[in-house]
Amino acid sequence: MLLAKTLRSSTFKWALIWITVFGAVVAVLFSYVYWSTVAYVQGRSDRAIAAEHTILRKIYDDTGRGGLIGAVKDRIAERLSEGGVYILTDPSFAPLAANLKVWPSTLRDSTGWVNFTTREWKPDAPSRPTLRAMIDALPNGDHLLVGKEIDDLDEVTNKIKTAFLWVIALIFVLAGVASISVTRRTVGRIEAINTTSQAIMQSGLGKRIPLRATRDEWDQLAGNLNSMLERIEGLMAEVKQVSDNVAHDLRTPLTRMRGRLEKAHAQQRNADHDQSLIDDTISDLDAVLRMFSSLTRISQIEAGDRTSVFRSVNLSEIATEVVELFDAAAEDKSAHLAAIVDQRVLVTGDRDLLFDAVANLVDNAIKYGREAGRVTVEVTRNGVISVIDDGPGIPISERQNVFKRFYRLEQSRRTPGNGLGLSLVAAVARLHGAGIEMVDNAPGLKFRLRFPPARS
Amino acid sequence: MVGGRRRILIIEDDSETAEQLVDYLSTSGYQVDLASGGKDGLSRGSSADYAVMAIDRMLPDIDGLAIIRRLRENGVVTPALIISALGEIDDRVRGLRAGGDDYLVKPFAFTELLARIEALARRSATVVRETVLRVGDLELDLVARTVSRGGRNIELLPREFQVLEYLVRNEGHIVPRAMLLQHVWDLHFDPTTNIIDVYVGRVRRKVDSQQAYPLIHTVRGVGFCIRAPC
Repeated sequence: MLLAKTLRSSTFKWALIWITVFGAVVAVLFSYVYWSTVAYVQGRSDRAIAAEHTILRKIYDDTGRGGLIGAVKDRIAERLSEGGVYILTDPSFAPLAANLKVWPSTLRDSTGWVNFTTREWKPDAPSRPTLRAMIDALPNGDHLLVGKEIDDLDEVTNKIKTAFLWVIALIFVLAGVASISVTRRTVGRIEAINTTSQAIMQSGLGKRIPLRATRDEWDQLAGNLNSMLERIEGLMAEVKQVSDNVAHDLRTPLTRMRGRLEKAHAQQRNADHDQSLIDDTISDLDAVLRMFSSLTRISQIEAGDRTSVFRSVNLSEIATEVVELFDAAAEDKSAHLAAIVDQRVLVTGDRDLLFDAVANLVDNAIKYGREAGRVTVEVTRNGVISVIDDGPGIPISERQNVFKRFYRLEQSRRTPGNGLGLSLVAAVARLHGAGIEMVDNAPGLKFRLRFPPARS
Repeated sequence: MVGGRRRILIIEDDSETAEQLVDYLSTSGYQVDLASGGKDGLSRGSSADYAVMAIDRMLPDIDGLAIIRRLRENGVVTPALIISALGEIDDRVRGLRAGGDDYLVKPFAFTELLARIEALARRSATVVRETVLRVGDLELDLVARTVSRGGRNIELLPREFQVLEYLVRNEGHIVPRAMLLQHVWDLHFDPTTNIIDVYVGRVRRKVDSQQAYPLIHTVRGVGFCIRAPC
């Protein structure tokens, strides 16, 4: 099973391809070494034969046939050159001086370089050696053959050939074993990931890919996939939470409306009563619709990439305008609302969304702050906008929860609102790459949005 | 109300919504033509002279924005109100870029639709530059930026003055909250809080308290209206 997978695996196929390429390169290299060695050794023996021939030809030129016969006989007798072959014949190929009994019959018409074997040379040797020689037709019609045994040359080249073949075979075997073992390892790790993915598809997001604590790239991949799964699981849980909440928050007003209409249906028509029933129902429906548009607005902000419509926005201007807009609302609660801003603090963003976010923060600060409290919106030059109140604040344990959709603190359940305001603030902050900080103001809360420096 | 061209073209494929629109706008004194598809709407829009067109964003044959774009290419300048069930954020921008003049998200209150259609119809009709605006005994001096009622001065913040000016310029017509936010604050979203009501409430206190009759009226669930008693 694992072996079949190994052989099918793309890693293994690639390894095979590269082994082939590598093997071809090694073969070419070895052939080159082989041929140049052979050529060198052969060149050396050829040069020796040629030198011998030149000397004999000079003797012939200087002293004629008699001198040459003497010189050849001397050479044969003295065994000056190991393995040397000499034949001097008259024009009818009858030997005049030779250490080979007859002129080989295959060489009657040849001149120049020849390779040959003959049974006359070393008749008692176990194998018949190859001879290499130079044949010269002398001006008086005589034939001269000067040569050398080249069996030792063959032996050298054969040794090289065998060594190379063995090395190449060994390389192939080692590479094959290496690629199979590497592939098996890869296939094994991928198998683990595949098994987990299949388990997830069948039974849900609970499974995780096992780690081997090797801290290699496979463990890193498995770790990343695991954290991705964790994030997805978290988001799914959040989505479920949100839809549960939507269901709850929708059912309540819808049930109320249904009950009201049902009751009216059973009653006699009465103009005044009907009018107030219709008014109440419309305003309940409006609340539901408003909740819907808040939700879609938040998900649009979270989903869409709106950075293309971003431009330079002055945070100070936004703070001043929000404060001015909410001045009347603060007055109703006898709260004191003020803006402390630096002249021009530019950030890159969407004015509508930033205004909405800051408005939500100020709205919260006034709504949930102290009666006759103090709310300050502060903008500092480093791109930080803070909304500061002196109300009850948010307990540290609740600070992460307040960004969840529909989440409402126990203390504020009776105040009107739908628990979406801070979700919107969080979505806008994330879109702008702004950090959110909640700091105790003792008493109260400092809610800070820290923006990255504006793009110029 | 405004005289002259009172014909409106509605391009809407949902028959019940279309019927409600035709009923409501006819009752308000408009002559309404209905096109139930994009092709029909395109040909009607280019042939007849309408005061306003209201176009649904999602139509079965041609996209609402494509209709506006083509009409604009053919030189039709009739103000167009885009009605959409899609979300507001990116869609609003896209709609206005395509040549739409205003944008309304479904579901909407008919009073708001009417207010927006009337604002668009007025846009082409009256561009009179006046320096003093009057409603009943209220007087706005646009040059000196002062307000008085029955000869007595009323102190307003600059932004409050703008709110009042916008209401007075639309005297007798309903001004939806979102329109007020758009024209006075240059903000393009529906506030989920009641903050505009609170703000206008303070303007109303300054303008209407201890007076013979109220001028600023709240239209429940929609917005505000300024008018003198008949």
